[in-house]
Amino acid sequence: MKRKEFILHLIGEIAHFILDSDPMRMVISLHQEEDGLHLAIFDDTERTDEELEKIRTALNNAQRPELAGYYGSMAGYDMFGTARLNLVGWQIKRGDVSRTDSGTNIDLWFGGDRFDPGRFSIPDEG
Amino acid sequence: MVSFRLPQKRPVEGVFLIKNEQRFLFVLVWGMIAGWALAGLAVQGPFEAVRGVAELQLHPARLINDFTLIAGDGAAMVNAALVAALGLLLVRANGIRLSGPTVAAVFTMMGFGLFGKTPFNVLPIFLGVYLSARFMGKRFGEYILMALFGTALGPLVTLLAVETGLPFVPALALAAGGGILTGFVLPPVAITMLRLHQGYNLYNIGLTSGFVALFASALVLAGGPVLETGGFWNTDPSSFLGFLPLSIIVVLFAAGWISGGKAVFRGLFRIFSQPGRLPSDYIELTSAGAALVNMSLTTAMAWGYVLLVGAPVNGPVIGGMLTIAGFSAFGKHPRNILPVLAGVVAAGLLFRKDLSAPGPVLGALFSTTLAPIAGEFGIPAGFIAGFIHLTMVLQTGGWHSGISLYNNGLAGGLTATIIIAVIEWYRSNKEPRKKRERHSKHEESQEGSV
Repeated sequence: MKRKEFILHLIGEIAHFILDSDPMRMVISLHQEEDGLHLAIFDDTERTDEELEKIRTALNNAQRPELAGYYGSMAGYDMFGTARLNLVGWQIKRGDVSRTDSGTNIDLWFGGDRFDPGRFSIPDEG
Repeated sequence: MVSFRLPQKRPVEGVFLIKNEQRFLFVLVWGMIAGWALAGLAVQGPFEAVRGVAELQLHPARLINDFTLIAGDGAAMVNAALVAALGLLLVRANGIRLSGPTVAAVFTMMGFGLFGKTPFNVLPIFLGVYLSARFMGKRFGEYILMALFGTALGPLVTLLAVETGLPFVPALALAAGGGILTGFVLPPVAITMLRLHQGYNLYNIGLTSGFVALFASALVLAGGPVLETGGFWNTDPSSFLGFLPLSIIVVLFAAGWISGGKAVFRGLFRIFSQPGRLPSDYIELTSAGAALVNMSLTTAMAWGYVLLVGAPVNGPVIGGMLTIAGFSAFGKHPRNILPVLAGVVAAGLLFRKDLSAPGPVLGALFSTTLAPIAGEFGIPAGFIAGFIHLTMVLQTGGWHSGISLYNNGLAGGLTATIIIAVIEWYRSNKEPRKKRERHSKHEESQEGSV
């Protein structure tokens, strides 16, 4: 239950962010594993290099346990105002952002304190 | 299956910069705390100051008990320095960065060390929050902000120790137990309260501790003791206290300038463009230098306001200024606090309140908890928030018998909740015209393609 809620709120916040730019298409794909999970988000919004860098910075900010444990609880609950990717960034291991043919792809990797990145894998889409 | 090895999150040069900034901030804040303690010892004499600090530990601490009047300027300052030192030690010991939220917490603790917080009454709260974190299998560092700000309920500990009429030892046990229990329930309530106002009330623990204090007050009063009202308000503070804010303003500005040089202006402009909604860490967003100069500017504004309305620069008023200073690294800046302050003044004038009286002057200083409303929704919204806030804060203190020191956080939280509820309802139901047109065009094109 705890894990399910955690995932739902993070998906909520990232969906909030995507929907802020009013896309015509949004795809969220979840790959859950024992050691962690991978969330792949695709939309059809074309973003500038600067915008992509802002997303990358927000998702890869420093570990802030004091903020993650308290203010991070607002992620996915708060659908008012602009979305805040730093709420997600404090709680993930890594976030990648790339441009696709038709829009943007955001990859997020999650894991608990005992998360072993070496054992982390996602299904081969090819 | 494809395996991914995940690299380190932060580049090495970033770590180096952060370490330097951290060292600078820790030295600065430790220096300010030590400076306060030494000034306190010097102004009242070491023996008298220490005696005064001891007296404060078992003096009622509910709103409003101005320690500068009860035990003297020096004792109040030493007490405030000790409370702040405990907070900073806790931050350091848990390996937490000294950044916007932690600077805000330590400055707020120091401010309230002048009128309510003591080492004696904050320790059980710390322990309660620590046990809460351990109970949930979390590190204390994740709950540390709730522990630091949660010391707003320190007066409950003192109340149980000295105001219940019980013999000393049972009263002490009750105080420790009550404080620990209060600290234990703070985190779940704080997280729920955060969702109520969605980060538009900077003093979220003020709303939380006010909420908890409603129950605590009812329980205590049900037990029979009659709580005295009134308290202490220093109407004739010394000229030493009168100029104390100036030293804070100068130190913060000088430290900011030394740290950032001319680059602080670029950082300041960036800070001024922020709504300030929780959590807005200005030190991380810009630099320690820009955040420190912003802290200096807002403190100068607060001092100017107090002098303008002719209020005494006593313990609680300086506490208010220190809180503004701290939160100017974490949400406040001149642009978002001014509309709220204007709303408070307008309400005070309309309802014929003396703006230099304790309620209105503290209401004005602490109303800046609602700065994010002005920052996000504009000047009129901030003005309305300030206007409502003053009318609320003059009532809310009595609801919890002054047990929660962050009474303005309670009033601000309620004000933010109602304003946000109305704005959210309006925005969610009124779809912008452009969006409607776009969607209807899209639907038409879909039909056409079919």
